[in-house]
Amino acid sequence: MVLDQDLVRHLSESSVSVELQTEEMTLNIGPQHPSTHGVLRLVARVDGERAFDVQPVIGYMHRGYEKLSEVRTYPQITTLVNRIDWVAGYANEVPFIVAAEKLLGIEVPERAQFIRLILSEMARISSHLIFMASYPLELGAATPLFFALRERERVLDLLEGVTGGRFHPNFNRIGGVKPAYGSGSSTRKVIQDLPAGFLAETRDAMDKVMAAVDELEQLVADNEIILARTKGIGILPTEVAASYGVSGPNLRASGVKFDLRKVEDYLPYHLFDFEIPVGENGDCWDRWHVRLLEIRQSVRIVQQAIDSIPSGPLQAKVPKIIKVPQGETYVRAENPKGEMGYYLVSNGNQGPYRLKIRSASFSNISILPWILEGVLVPDIIAIMGSLDFVLGDVDR
Amino acid sequence: MTSSPSETETATEAVEAPTVHPLQEYADQVAAVVEGTATITFDTVKVEVPAERWVSALTTARDDLGLFFFSWLSAVDWASEVEVGDPFPGEVEDRFEVLATLSDISEGRRVTFSTTLSKDSPSIASLVEVFAGANWHEREAYEMFGIDFPGHPNLAHLYLPDSFQGNPLRKSYPLLSREVKPWPGTVDVEGMPGSGDEEEPVDGPSEENPEA
Repeated sequence: MVLDQDLVRHLSESSVSVELQTEEMTLNIGPQHPSTHGVLRLVARVDGERAFDVQPVIGYMHRGYEKLSEVRTYPQITTLVNRIDWVAGYANEVPFIVAAEKLLGIEVPERAQFIRLILSEMARISSHLIFMASYPLELGAATPLFFALRERERVLDLLEGVTGGRFHPNFNRIGGVKPAYGSGSSTRKVIQDLPAGFLAETRDAMDKVMAAVDELEQLVADNEIILARTKGIGILPTEVAASYGVSGPNLRASGVKFDLRKVEDYLPYHLFDFEIPVGENGDCWDRWHVRLLEIRQSVRIVQQAIDSIPSGPLQAKVPKIIKVPQGETYVRAENPKGEMGYYLVSNGNQGPYRLKIRSASFSNISILPWILEGVLVPDIIAIMGSLDFVLGDVDR
Repeated sequence: MTSSPSETETATEAVEAPTVHPLQEYADQVAAVVEGTATITFDTVKVEVPAERWVSALTTARDDLGLFFFSWLSAVDWASEVEVGDPFPGEVEDRFEVLATLSDISEGRRVTFSTTLSKDSPSIASLVEVFAGANWHEREAYEMFGIDFPGHPNLAHLYLPDSFQGNPLRKSYPLLSREVKPWPGTVDVEGMPGSGDEEEPVDGPSEENPEA
C-alpha cells in the first residue's frame, strides 16, 4: 500500500512503542456502546494499543422475521421488513414486494414505479446523511451532525407526507403504492395520490441537500484530523470484500464499479442518467467519500424522476385476497447499505412458505474479525463506523 | 397502465408462455461447467448439484465462471407436515434444500446453487475455505435448521443463546406465540369495553383449558 508522506508522519507518531512489555487483556466493547449503532458487542484480545482476535457477538436484536413470515400474509410482512434496516425502512419493502409481484406476474403501473424509485432514493439520501452525521461524530467532530440532520429532517418530512411514516412507511402494496389517507386531490376518483405540492417541495429539498453536501464536504474533507484518522486505515481489498459478501458503498470504496441499480430491473433505473462513484484505496476515507458522492447521484436521479414522472393509476388490479402462485425467486436491490434480497418460496397461499432475507449489514460486518486484526484500539471505532451498519439489518 | 383485468391476464400468460428465457443460454453454460441441472424460476437461475460435489461445484463457479461474490447461504425445510404456516399442497418429499447464491461484481450475473440433504442427520461440507463469508451463514443454518457443516472452524450458535434448544426454522418447530394466541383471525381485535364484544374474551375457555 502506498501512503503519502504526510500520512506516514501521522502514522509513525501514533504508533506505539514496541519495547514496552505489555500484558494481554480482554476488552469488551458494547453491547451498549454509542459507536455500535444498536446493540453489537465486540470481544477483543488487546496487547498494549493493538487489538487481536476481535469477535463480534450479535443476536441481541434477533426478532425471527424469517420464522414470523411463515405465519403472516404478504401485506402483513411489509410491516416487518421495513423494520430490518430502520434507517432506510422504505428501501427494505421494495425488493420484497417486487418478489411477490414477480410470482404473481403483475405489471406495476409506471407512476407507482416512479414513486417507489423516488422514495427509495430519498431513503438512500436520508440513510447516507445519518452516516454523514454519525461518522465524523465518532471521530470527534460534532459539527457535521447538525448540517446532516437538518437535511435529513427535510427529506424525512417529505417521506412522511407521502407515506404517513417517517421510519416505517408500510407504503407498498402488491401491484402498487398506497399514499397516506388524506393525500392527493379531494375528488373521489383520485383520492389517493401524491400530496399536493410534493414534487415541487421535493425539488426544492433536493437543491438544499445538494448545497448541504457541498458544506459537509468542505467541513470534513479538509479536516486534517479526520484525514489522519481515516486515510490508509481499515483497507479492504476487493477479493476479500467479495468473498465475505461485503456489498454496496463498502465494496465500491474498494474500487469496484458495481451497482445493482444498473444491472437489476426491480425499478426503472435504466431511464435515468447517473454515475457509480468508486474509491481508490478501500480505506475508511474512501468509504466516507463514496457515500458523499452517492448522495449527489441520488439527488440527480430524484430530480430526473420528478421531471419525467408519468400520470396514471397507482395500483394494478389485484384480487382482494391475494394468493401468490407456487414458485420461487430471488430479488435483490441496491439498498443504502448494500445488497438486500429476498429468496421467496411460495406454496400458493396468502403467505410465503419460506422467506430468506439477505440483509446487507449482516455480510458487511462479518468482515470485522478480518479487518480489525492487529489494528490500534482507537481505529476499531473508525473502521467500524466507516462500514455503516445497522443492527436491525444484521440481526433481522 | 395495466389496471384493466384483460391486461393483467396477458401479463400472467406472458410469464407462462414457453418461450426461451433470455437467461437460458447462461443457465445451460453454468450447468455444463459445474455438471449440475439448471432451471430458471422467475428470472432466477438455479443450479442443482449433488451434495458430495457441493464444495467443488462452488469452487469451480468461483474460479471458472467469475462468480466470486458470496451473496448468501441458507436452507429450506421441505416437509409434508408443518407446525407453522401452510404446508405445500400435495405430496412433498421430506428433505432439506441448501441454497447458496453467488454473483459476479461486473455484469450482474447471479446463480443460486442448490443441493438436497436427507432429514436424518443432515450434513454438508463447509464452504468457509472457499468463501470466508460462508462462516456466519453456515452458523445461522446450523442453529436454525440443525444442519451440520463438517470443516467449519467454529460451528457455534450465532443469534441464539448457547443454551437454546431446538432449530427454530424447521417446519416441525412451533411458533410459541401462535400456540398461545391464534392470530390472525376473528380473535384478532379485542372488543372495546362496553361495546358488548368483551363477552367473548380472547383467551376464552377452550377444551384444553376450561378454567381460562
